[in-house]
Amino acid sequence: MDISLISLEVGVALIGIIILLTDLWTPAENKARLGWIAIGGLITVFCYNFSTFDQATAGINGYSKDGLAVYFQGFFVMAAILVILLTMSYASRVSSGISELYALICFALVGMCFAAGASNFIMLFVAVELITTSFYVLTSFERHRLRSLEAGIKYLIMGATSSAIMVFGIALIYGTTGTLDFNEVSRSLLTPAGLSMQLLLHLGALMVLGGLIFKLGAIPFQLWVPDVYQGAPIPVTAFLSSGSKAAGIVLIFRTLAEACPSLLDQEWLPKLLSITAGITILYGSLCALRQRNLKRLLGYSSIASAGYILLGIVCLDNIGSQAVLFYLSGYLFGILAAFTIISVVSEESGDEDISILANLHQRSPFMATILTLAIASLAGIPPLAGFLGKFALLRSAFGKLNDQHSSMPWLIGIAMLGIVISLYYYFKIIREIYWGPGLYWKEKKPSAEPLCCPRAAEIALLICLFALIGLGLYPEPILSLAGEATNNLFSSRP
Amino acid sequence: MNIDLEQFLIVSIILFCIGLLGVVVRRNLIVMYMGLELMLNAANLALVSFSHFRDNLDGQILVFFIITVAAAEVAVGLALIVALYRKRQTTDVNELTSMKL
Repeated sequence: MDISLISLEVGVALIGIIILLTDLWTPAENKARLGWIAIGGLITVFCYNFSTFDQATAGINGYSKDGLAVYFQGFFVMAAILVILLTMSYASRVSSGISELYALICFALVGMCFAAGASNFIMLFVAVELITTSFYVLTSFERHRLRSLEAGIKYLIMGATSSAIMVFGIALIYGTTGTLDFNEVSRSLLTPAGLSMQLLLHLGALMVLGGLIFKLGAIPFQLWVPDVYQGAPIPVTAFLSSGSKAAGIVLIFRTLAEACPSLLDQEWLPKLLSITAGITILYGSLCALRQRNLKRLLGYSSIASAGYILLGIVCLDNIGSQAVLFYLSGYLFGILAAFTIISVVSEESGDEDISILANLHQRSPFMATILTLAIASLAGIPPLAGFLGKFALLRSAFGKLNDQHSSMPWLIGIAMLGIVISLYYYFKIIREIYWGPGLYWKEKKPSAEPLCCPRAAEIALLICLFALIGLGLYPEPILSLAGEATNNLFSSRP
Repeated sequence: MNIDLEQFLIVSIILFCIGLLGVVVRRNLIVMYMGLELMLNAANLALVSFSHFRDNLDGQILVFFIITVAAAEVAVGLALIVALYRKRQTTDVNELTSMKL
């Protein structure tokens, strides 16, 4: 076994352990700065891993490091770096154990990186559990706050239920095929004996997909999203909405395309997925309309975006998955910029009501500009990254319009409707920045004191700003990377 | 007496359904958690019996991982439930309503 293949995961886990150890010798007032070690370590490990990686699909039993894995690992490391920057600016609000917060983010990142390369149901299960178990702790990290604790318990019960369902699905798949390896599962179906067991296998695969859709936060496993997003500490919410969601997506791709290609020929699968996508988009968009809590609003909008991602998955082809990958990259920077600013702005009042944004354009023009751009990108306004992402998804969906018995026209209609509805609630945030009347329950003018942005948050915001505009104006590099990552995914399909 | 695969599977499906029902119906966090463990163990039983009747050890390897992960989950989960109990003096999920629409 070649250990250098998993050097990224081993390295990230080591960083987590090193941070925990260094914490012992660090005086309390310097603990927040341990984040710089984490960021430096992550960049070093990722660059080392990337330079030693050769394009020939390398793999050991259960883990394959192909283009898709590398794309998602880059995505996860980027998300973790931004989240750690956000955590550093959030450090003053964490009463104790800031270094554990960094370490747990690293451990969740290990799970995500393994998930990106999983090619075996054991690896899939262990990676998913590593992510979820870290997030149980992360979500309830501020355990003196009842809401954080409550969010943690809700996430725990629903997450454990969905993983139990997933494990039972894996057991069914194992029972019908006698193997847990993705490629062997797909091969065992080609034999005549395998065909007779197909029903049970498809049931198992659906249960696995159900467990993964929980990570994505789509119908019917979306109930946890608003509460957990609202209750969890802001850096954790940001990581949930970017990293954890993307881990679900890469595993859905792998399960569908690599483990159960026979599922793709079933007529009901696109129908089922499009119903899920349609309801998810509508549910997320409609529920977000009346939200005043910023984190909850972004939670519902992230449900809607899970619906758009499913729209790309429904296509079940390489173009659709390329669009999903690109959309995710744009989404990452938009949502992380938004959460970073919410974290800075909500620090003084401790409240997350939308009215805290009032007068932000006078208090901090820098943050007001970036929040406006991030929200506009999430809403899909050209020329920002989010627009191209949504455009790519819709284009791939339009490519499927001519299929027989397709429910695609309806789904595209619903997606368009969802985008229009989302303009309302996204622009509600922008309106609040420039014309907000201020804290409505105090009936006083919004404060006009300048609000300074911590250094770490500033760096994160600048990265997001460049990425949002850069991805919008020059999408080719990332698009071609995403294309390379997915060009073998559904290769057996006509 | 010979027990064949179907009987193992029926028991495992019954266990799974009892566990799921426990999570959905009961309102006490500890009991819900027991339901979750039951669901995981139902999957374990299915995996072990499949593994036995197929003469293939992969399933039992996965069972080891499931047991380990379940232990980790219980450690985290019970800690959370205890922390909640200290705060609210209750383990009833109907009381967990500080966040609403």
